[in-house]
Amino acid sequence: MSTAQPMHGQVGWRLLSSRSRRKRITFYLFISPWLIGFVALGAIPLVLGLLTSLTNYDGMDLAHLKFVGLDNYARAFADSEATFTAGRTAVWIAINTPAWLVISFLLALILNQEVRGRGIFRTLYYLPSVIPAVAAMWVWKIFLNDNFGLMAAMADLIRPGTVIPWLTKYALVSVTFVSLWGGLGLGMVVFLAGLQGIPRELEEAAVIDGAHQFQVFRHVTIPLMTPVIFFQLVISLIGGFQTFVLPLLLLGGQRDLAYGSTPPRSIYLYMVYTYHQLFVYQRFGYGTALLWILFTVVLVLTLLVFWTQRYWVYYEVETQGEGR
Amino acid sequence: MSVRSKGMSLRKLLGLLISYGVLILVTVVLMLPVFWFLLTSVKAESEFVSWPIRVFPAVPQWSNYVKAVTWFPFARHAWNSFFLATTTSILTIITSSLAGFAFARINVPERNKLFRVIIAMLIVPGIVTLIPQFIVYARLKLTNTYWPWILGALSGSPYFIFMFRQFFTGIPRELEDAAEVDGAGPFRIFWQIFLPNSLPVIATAFIFNFNGVWGDWLMPTLYLTDRNTTLAVKLAQGIRNPHAESVFIYTVSMAGCVIFILPMVITFFLAQRHILQGVVTSGLKG
Repeated sequence: MSTAQPMHGQVGWRLLSSRSRRKRITFYLFISPWLIGFVALGAIPLVLGLLTSLTNYDGMDLAHLKFVGLDNYARAFADSEATFTAGRTAVWIAINTPAWLVISFLLALILNQEVRGRGIFRTLYYLPSVIPAVAAMWVWKIFLNDNFGLMAAMADLIRPGTVIPWLTKYALVSVTFVSLWGGLGLGMVVFLAGLQGIPRELEEAAVIDGAHQFQVFRHVTIPLMTPVIFFQLVISLIGGFQTFVLPLLLLGGQRDLAYGSTPPRSIYLYMVYTYHQLFVYQRFGYGTALLWILFTVVLVLTLLVFWTQRYWVYYEVETQGEGR
Repeated sequence: MSVRSKGMSLRKLLGLLISYGVLILVTVVLMLPVFWFLLTSVKAESEFVSWPIRVFPAVPQWSNYVKAVTWFPFARHAWNSFFLATTTSILTIITSSLAGFAFARINVPERNKLFRVIIAMLIVPGIVTLIPQFIVYARLKLTNTYWPWILGALSGSPYFIFMFRQFFTGIPRELEDAAEVDGAGPFRIFWQIFLPNSLPVIATAFIFNFNGVWGDWLMPTLYLTDRNTTLAVKLAQGIRNPHAESVFIYTVSMAGCVIFILPMVITFFLAQRHILQGVVTSGLKG
């Protein structure tokens, strides 16, 4: 009985307004921890970060704090390391996102057939996703080790004497691989659920109409999956921009992971650079400016992707009488 | 006619063969590093650094596991991780479920607008708020304490709020109508009807948050010092032999990592259905 009944006269009005006021108070009481947290830990830090980016803040000294206007932003665009790492990030996303989308979609398609042991495969594919980055880094560090890793041994078996420097020269390939290893399960599970939500009748009807398997896939399955693909695309893009713990852990030096060591140039990502500016050089003003540039780019790109929805994402119009 | 049906079944067979081939190949590729990792954890260090490689240890070195937990204060760091992971999970579940209930059941005009804020927060890169938060906490001298975790958890997570709202929306109204007639207020309805009925979501949220905090490397690296940090940070540095000039030992480090990931792997196998369901709920209805 949550809808208010129509009431007559003044008494009714007062009752209604006091009830809706009570309701509103209850609502805000329920959401208050989140709301306070959102303001204190979300909105305020965002603004503070923006303000910091307009200063020369070094993390310690407030006495020498100076307002520098947009200097940090101008500096970022002139900083050849910043633009270089931004370029590497673009390359990284351009490789990682399509690879992840395509492979996890293909795996989901295969597992959506009536294959035996579907549950087992699904479990095994998802398993790497529950392994934290710290452990994943070790798994791959010893596997890809040039001197005594299993990968080196297999390469040597195929062609004796081959040394493939996975963690230096081919770092971009390796990080992509590790990232796929940890992410395919996740992507596959979501795609699989989407595929299972496609009403069988639709595909069967297409077959009866004489469509080939590929035509069914192209004109029935893909359109119906576009909302899921869209969602996965957005998630992957946002994640791609933020990537830095994995290359830092996998490719940085061991002793001072948190500090100076940089990954190989090919996977020297924008966020790694930003992290170093912040915590190695204590350039908080400049570092937060770099962060705000990232934020703006992510925001614009996400909005752009949202805008493209109308051209390729099909949302189901409720036309079927029964069925879910 | 018969030729055609034979051709069809042959094609089907071929398709099935390719499917299984791909599935098995992917399994091998994904599991090979894990297999190597597990084997390394029971090798002698000399076996690990030998070339040509030795795939299997001559004698499994189970003592690596003992070394992993005794060569550095493993228990203390594990406790730090456990404490943070458990406390934040409980707090974030309470806060998020409360907000989720309000968004699902208490209808006020501005509800949808506020909910849109939650959705928007899902796409704000976490790092953009994390760094300014760090600056503030550092100024407040709250680094080197667990407050950043506690306060963060107290404010809930947009992701879990979303999950709870989705679940609560699906709970039939009859249940609460009956309770309302009996004079139960919204809080009692939430506490006595909604929460007990949402154990799967609670479990999922708990596992997600616990794993996230247990495995997190960034926050403890930023906030904590070597003494009070979490297991993840210590293991990222690797385990060294305190009896021999602090030499870094691969095999013992791997044994430590195996223990470190064990809780995650076990809960995954136990609660697989819920975990995958949780992934799907947040993924599909977004």
